[in-house]
Amino acid sequence: MDDLQFGKRNKRGDWAPDATLEAAPLWVRPLNMAKILRWLVGYVWPWNAFHMAITLAYWYLVVPDVATLKTMDWAWALRLYAVNAAAILLFYGAFEYRLYLRRGQGTRFKYNGRFPADNASDVFWFKSQNIDNFLRSFFVSIPLWTVVEVLFLWCFANGYVPSLGWNDHPVYLAALLLLAPAIHEAHFFCIHRLIHTPLLYKWIHSIHHNSVNPTPWSSLSMHPVEGFLYHAVALWHLVIPSNPLVALFQVNMAGFGALNGHIGFDTVETTEGQGFASHAYAHYLHHKHFEVNYGGDQLIPLDIWFGTWHDGSPEGEARMQARFAKKRERMNAI
Amino acid sequence: MPQWIDACATSDVEPEEVIRFDHGTQTFAIFRSPDDQFYCTAGLCTHEKVHLADGLVMDHEIECPKHSGAFDYRTGEAIRAPVCVNLKTFTTKVENGRIHIEI
Repeated sequence: MDDLQFGKRNKRGDWAPDATLEAAPLWVRPLNMAKILRWLVGYVWPWNAFHMAITLAYWYLVVPDVATLKTMDWAWALRLYAVNAAAILLFYGAFEYRLYLRRGQGTRFKYNGRFPADNASDVFWFKSQNIDNFLRSFFVSIPLWTVVEVLFLWCFANGYVPSLGWNDHPVYLAALLLLAPAIHEAHFFCIHRLIHTPLLYKWIHSIHHNSVNPTPWSSLSMHPVEGFLYHAVALWHLVIPSNPLVALFQVNMAGFGALNGHIGFDTVETTEGQGFASHAYAHYLHHKHFEVNYGGDQLIPLDIWFGTWHDGSPEGEARMQARFAKKRERMNAI
Repeated sequence: MPQWIDACATSDVEPEEVIRFDHGTQTFAIFRSPDDQFYCTAGLCTHEKVHLADGLVMDHEIECPKHSGAFDYRTGEAIRAPVCVNLKTFTTKVENGRIHIEI
């Protein structure tokens, strides 16, 4: 595919799409039903459908029966960790292998023209972004993802929180499943904005931001506090009336879905003339500019409402620069 | 009292490149712009104190190697987050093929 038909590459070798990012059309007035229907297809396919398929596979093949879940036990907790780690190794690893190790599509559609493996940096463990990100993912974030998973499964199994049945509440639970991405986005925006406050940024979130040129392994490269808060989105299902399958979908969307913002490519090519959208650009702009796009693709347009949205347009850039100029003025006045 | 220090030869710095120059306890970054002018700034990024000489020069911009924050090396102005605090700049002059900086 010729990526220059869809965007521009600058002197530095960085590619940016021509199309600007848009909030979910549900928030645009007047409502455009054709656009909403097209958006709904993209809302479900392929990413959320994949997260649902993974969740069903977990539910039927991995999650132990209720009797087992009633007792906290290392055996089933470690088994869950092993499955989470193996699944992420395969899923993230497939993208990492094709796009970054084999460099199967070169720098076509790649936001940052450079590959992190080409530049050693002492900001990372062993001076390697890949090794650092990999170790933090598998030995910090995935264990904490598993802790959250164990916690809600144990609570539901023991009846500490009500578990709504699918036979009694099919419409409500189906609606909750459909709303799970919105819960994810609202939760992510709030915790993300919180850890961007100066002190928490310095001690916690700066670890994730060391990867200014993110790759799949960067997705879950987090400080333990962030790793827990991020996956704790599933714990909302202990507060709102819900069901363990929906909570599992929620945590899987966080764990597997973190990839989307960190692929580093706008389109992942599948064949000579075809590919699928990564939905990575909004979060890539966050990694590049630090103080924009705290949420995701504006399913809930919190960045737009709070004035931190960068849609990739010159106007978005100008708005960010105006905020940055004020901050710079403040910092240089000290 | 400002003094002029002989830092390096003009041929030591390629166009759109930067080199590190240490003097006493101070460290500097010396740049050669695409229009063949020489500039000097403090050598360490104001964000996390890494040597800017390891960064990428493009046009009139130096990108920090650590977090990709950027400065205009002509003015020292911070132009891209996460850097916010401007760089200190130093006057330069060229005499007999040598770059001198005023400190």
